Amino acid sequence: MVQNNFNRFRGASRYVLDDELAKIVNVSIALEMPLLLKGEPGTGKTMLAYAIAENLDMPLIVLNVKSSMKLVDALYQYDTLTRLNDSRFGDSSKDVSNIEEYIKMGKIGQAFVADTRKVLLIDEIDKADTDFQDDMLDVLDQMEFDIIEIDKTISAKHRPVIIITSNAKKDLSDPFLGRCNFHHIAFPGEDTMRMIIGVHFPDLGRETTDACIKTFYALRKLEGIEKKPATRELINWIRALKADPDFKLSLLDRGDVPYPGVLYKKSSDLKVATKAIARHR
Amino acid sequence: MPGIVNEAGVQEDNILFVSFFYNLRERGIPVTPTSFLRLQRALCMGLIHSLKDFYVVARAILVKSERYFDVYDQVFAHHFEGVELPDLEDVELSEMAKLLLEEWLKNPAAVAAALDVDEKDLSKLTPEELEKYFLDRLKEQTEAHHGGNKWIGTGGTSPVGHSGYHPGGMRVGGISRNKSATKVALDRRYRDYSQEGPLTQSQIGEALKRLRRMIPSGPMDVVNVQKTIYETMRNAGEIEIIFDRRLADRLKVILMIDNGGWSMDPYIPLVQTLFDYTRNQFKDLKTYFFHNTIYDMVWSDTARYHKPELVTDFIKKDPETRIIIVGDASMAPYELMSEGGSIYFGEKKRSPSIENLRFLAQTFRHCVWLNPHSRRAWESTWTADIIRKVFPMFELTLDGLDGAVSHLMSRN
Repeated sequence: MVQNNFNRFRGASRYVLDDELAKIVNVSIALEMPLLLKGEPGTGKTMLAYAIAENLDMPLIVLNVKSSMKLVDALYQYDTLTRLNDSRFGDSSKDVSNIEEYIKMGKIGQAFVADTRKVLLIDEIDKADTDFQDDMLDVLDQMEFDIIEIDKTISAKHRPVIIITSNAKKDLSDPFLGRCNFHHIAFPGEDTMRMIIGVHFPDLGRETTDACIKTFYALRKLEGIEKKPATRELINWIRALKADPDFKLSLLDRGDVPYPGVLYKKSSDLKVATKAIARHR
Repeated sequence: MPGIVNEAGVQEDNILFVSFFYNLRERGIPVTPTSFLRLQRALCMGLIHSLKDFYVVARAILVKSERYFDVYDQVFAHHFEGVELPDLEDVELSEMAKLLLEEWLKNPAAVAAALDVDEKDLSKLTPEELEKYFLDRLKEQTEAHHGGNKWIGTGGTSPVGHSGYHPGGMRVGGISRNKSATKVALDRRYRDYSQEGPLTQSQIGEALKRLRRMIPSGPMDVVNVQKTIYETMRNAGEIEIIFDRRLADRLKVILMIDNGGWSMDPYIPLVQTLFDYTRNQFKDLKTYFFHNTIYDMVWSDTARYHKPELVTDFIKKDPETRIIIVGDASMAPYELMSEGGSIYFGEKKRSPSIENLRFLAQTFRHCVWLNPHSRRAWESTWTADIIRKVFPMFELTLDGLDGAVSHLMSRN
């Protein structure tokens, strides 16, 4: 079983994977541990889960964590209102005396009861409070949870591959970290970035790629920027350049940067960047 | 490394791994025995085929924060390739010398003035010579006396902040395809993550996120199941749906900022970030300004002139309001203790400032004092020490904010 799974993950069609990360993903799958990914926004934490799902040919279930979320929301929901309505009017196909028919699975629940193994992405865990995080890890550790309304324990049929992402600079709680493997996705270097661009824009010429990368890394060096442009911004930016019929490479060589708004998402950052670009021109 | 994979090899290598584990602990990485056993399991399962694999896997399993990646790299290189672990103090000094060099390139005059040397003399040196020169000067400093001269000390307006802020920005590590593990470890790609940067708005947001008090407000659009069932029964089974208001955050916060005096000047950007964040975050936020300490009045305008408010009037406010005071709490003792201690001429005083502080602390159960100086500094500041006995005092850092929030949200 281990041998089967191990080394199966080698990267997907739209995701450039470095050796380190591939190794860590494979070890986490083999050890049956959740993998916690941190890193600058836009470095492909979420994309990794999609890539794993595609590569391992498993369906992906995404749990987008929200600040107001309670753990039980992620596990299951008991639809009391429908049941009340059905009991009043009695025109439903469901059996009102059977509560189980009114239990809906949440995202974690879905991953547990599924007949095949799933990839479960728990996105932006840092948005929720620490209790949520710790309780959730209990569930993922035990691979089971109770539905109190019907006094039933749901156990995972197949242990899902769990990927957790966090944007937080601050560390998560110790018990949480103790149960995860950890990786920090560093910002890709120029060579890796060239590969990433190659994957996304296979027909982009070498010259254009080089010019874009050069401009992009120069822009990342600007000081006084709160949210530096990341891979996601670069890809969108190249997309914008490609869509513009008037765009010429010579613009970049002259130090001009069209569409800075694609790269900088904060108005204060945009202001700083526009000023710096104007100075360089 | 075939020795790692076979069973007997695991036994032999265990000693090596155990000492690696303790070495990591000694260097301050919080590695747990559980995670160590997990690493052993990975070894036994045959998941690790080379030293490079071991480097990556051990890091993922043992080290849970990128802040420790740099130390991990150093220990790894030391342990498996016998690279000497640098003396901690030397590392810090050479980092500091590099920072000074960068500072020099930006603003030679300021550095020369701080070092008390002629700018022209230094500008003859090459960057390498300069760095060496700075390093020597720094060594001299630490050997000669601690805390005397300002420029390497932790206080004041030194050109190199003690926070270790790295102005050079993040270094970019290349791809590691063809390098050995030790090479990778020796690269120390994670050096920049190991240093604490200045607080950014999003970090403050993270720290203050727990600061909220949920009470019902807004439109009634949430079904109250309990009440609905109860009312339906009362209604003889005819469905009666009861709606409630959604829970929303309605925490009242008063922020009081010391915005006078040169001693707070270095922290203006930091306090500004805190202020911006809180202003966006809390619907019910009042901000007041004061200078050094709180007398009879605080002001809601930054100039502390137009809109004074009597501190005694604060008794009318909701006692559940959270009070956050930001200041360095350092001043002349008489400003705090004596009647008429205000340093402003013409400000008529009735009670010593310390009485006003006590009044605030008694009126509001939840108050904290955030101090941008480091904890060490306030222990040696007389007034800060007094104020600490009135308000729980926290550093204006990520950890400090965390502690402050815990205190503000505690039940008593």
